[in-house]
Amino acid sequence: MRHALAVLMIAGFLGTAWGAAGPAAAQGPVVAQFWYSFGGTNREVTEAHIKRFNESQSKYKIEGTFQGDYFEALAKIRAAAATKTAPAAFHVIGEAIPQLAASGLFENLEPYAKGVNGANLEDYLPGQTQHTYFDYLGKPAAPLMALPFFRSTPILYYNAGMLAAKGVKVPATWDELRDAAAKLTVREGSETKTYGFEVPVDWWFWYALLHEAGGSLLTPDGKKAAFRDKGTEALQFWVDLVNKDKTMKRPPGKDYNAWTVTNTDFINGRAAMIFTSTAFLNYMTENAKFKLGTAFLPGKVKQAVPTGGTFFVIARDAPPAQKEAGWAFIKWMTEPAQTISLSKATGYMPIRTSAVNSPEMQAFYKQNPNYKTAIDQLRTAQRFPYTPALIEIQREVIQPNLEAAVLGIKTAAEIMQAAEAKANEILAKQQ
Amino acid sequence: MSLYEWDLVMPARWVGAANYRALVSTEFWEVVTNTVKYSVGVVVLSQTLGLGLAVLLNDRTRLGALLQASIFSSYVVSWVAVSLLWIWLLDPQYGLVAYLLRLVGLRGVNWLGDHRWALWTLVLVTVWKTVGYPMVIYLAGLQAIPGDLYEAAALDGAGGWQRFRHITWPLLTPTTLFLMVTLTITSFQGFDIVKIMTQGGPVTATMIYVYYIYEQAFQYFKLGKASAAVVLFFIGIVTLTFAQWLVFRRRVHYTT
Repeated sequence: MRHALAVLMIAGFLGTAWGAAGPAAAQGPVVAQFWYSFGGTNREVTEAHIKRFNESQSKYKIEGTFQGDYFEALAKIRAAAATKTAPAAFHVIGEAIPQLAASGLFENLEPYAKGVNGANLEDYLPGQTQHTYFDYLGKPAAPLMALPFFRSTPILYYNAGMLAAKGVKVPATWDELRDAAAKLTVREGSETKTYGFEVPVDWWFWYALLHEAGGSLLTPDGKKAAFRDKGTEALQFWVDLVNKDKTMKRPPGKDYNAWTVTNTDFINGRAAMIFTSTAFLNYMTENAKFKLGTAFLPGKVKQAVPTGGTFFVIARDAPPAQKEAGWAFIKWMTEPAQTISLSKATGYMPIRTSAVNSPEMQAFYKQNPNYKTAIDQLRTAQRFPYTPALIEIQREVIQPNLEAAVLGIKTAAEIMQAAEAKANEILAKQQ
Repeated sequence: MSLYEWDLVMPARWVGAANYRALVSTEFWEVVTNTVKYSVGVVVLSQTLGLGLAVLLNDRTRLGALLQASIFSSYVVSWVAVSLLWIWLLDPQYGLVAYLLRLVGLRGVNWLGDHRWALWTLVLVTVWKTVGYPMVIYLAGLQAIPGDLYEAAALDGAGGWQRFRHITWPLLTPTTLFLMVTLTITSFQGFDIVKIMTQGGPVTATMIYVYYIYEQAFQYFKLGKASAAVVLFFIGIVTLTFAQWLVFRRRVHYTT
């Protein structure tokens, strides 16, 4: 009896093993991995589109995996690249592209774009593409390695109800923002019930302020840092709003933790105006119980915004069949039909000119003018210098040090001076 | 690895002692200071509170058992859950702590967002979560003390405090040394609480050692520097443990 049982069990194990091996040996779609970094609504949208792609054809099957936020995912990508198990397709923030490209991580996409399953590169919206994201500093353009995925600009979100109630008009300049924030802040005794303004003390928004003040990050040849004076002005603006006027809340937490706090405070009516990405527009529209307004970021010497979001890339070390699958997927995702549905579901901008001009999008923008703000603001978009030092300057020199000024630990001038020295050190190593 | 520079993607590059030199010339010392402050805070507070709770609850009643279980329950819950919970409890605008303080007319501080308080806030949350452990260990130690010693002392006219000072405390010294060593080592390994609650911030106020290693390795991709930090960490802990043992072994009474 026992022996019969043992034989049955072994047969069972063997049977499942053989069964599992079976389909793998059979002809099936090429399976490739796509790693993405969206949580919440945008994650659902991404997964829905992956499913739609898999259902629309039977040659390739894409499996999507959520990998945490952009920076956590970057660590995982590098770890995977070190063991040659990088996913066929993934997406990265623009600032990381030069350094990762220098490490040989990316597949050159030009042959794919011109090949059998090619893409109409002319139709990609100016301001969205790799070549219009970067300033190549007088050197020849880097090869095409990245297709735009979800692209964004920071915009001003405001609680239209609060502004109307206080008779405040939407600010268009730094001074107007300061006045508006003062009028919109509500205090009860020693407690601030509502802050007039809130923004994460973060590289991306500092980059906007830097350019609005008339500055730039590096010299035109990209060899030295150029941001000290105007960067100080930008940072000082926040320092004054938080500490002098006390009309701005500094959201706590590093990196995207602060962004979450900012969004939550705005939705809960604790902040009247915020700067954050157009990527949250859908989330805000669905969750705000007040009339939501959006506008360009207020300017100083001029209006200026960085673009953000991510680009699709293909890992150079992935097997060729998977790379082909990855390319098919990212090309499909950037087609007008998909970019329209992706944009409408999230608030990220469509990346094809034909999509923006399509009757569907035009009608959508008439109904939902907030979604048009970022696209219109693209005309004030600033480029990023194409240098492997860019991501280091962002992550090590600027991002961790902005907080100290707003907390009053160091002055903005001290921080920018130290930052300039460190940035020049990093740039010198590149030469 | 600590003698190389590696960013996970490019091949590792030999740099000799440069990583060690880079470490000692930066915020490394602040990290060490923060870790020591955190560790001392956690060890002293949790051991003292643990001992007090053990003495208070050292009875065989059902209420005592219930209280012991509830205090110990926070020790077995995940760090992530506890950290997330306390982020909301401590929020200066929405949090329960701020609300309760306002009820009695006190103004709370920005517990996690003020660089003067953030580290001590983490100490308090850690003590809240882990005090069950020294309490349980001390309870075991207390129950190992023979009852006739107390009877003899009472017959000699010794009061409660004298009994504690001359019987309980000396016979608990092995337990105390054990807890001191283990709690120190565990507190040096603090990571989850920082990762969830403050990410080392504000600025570097709550940057403690293990989180610093993680940040160097996986945010800045300086694996060589992170490895150097790990080597120094190992040397530091071994030295500290040995020092603790040397200093206190004479003062520990072992009963047979």
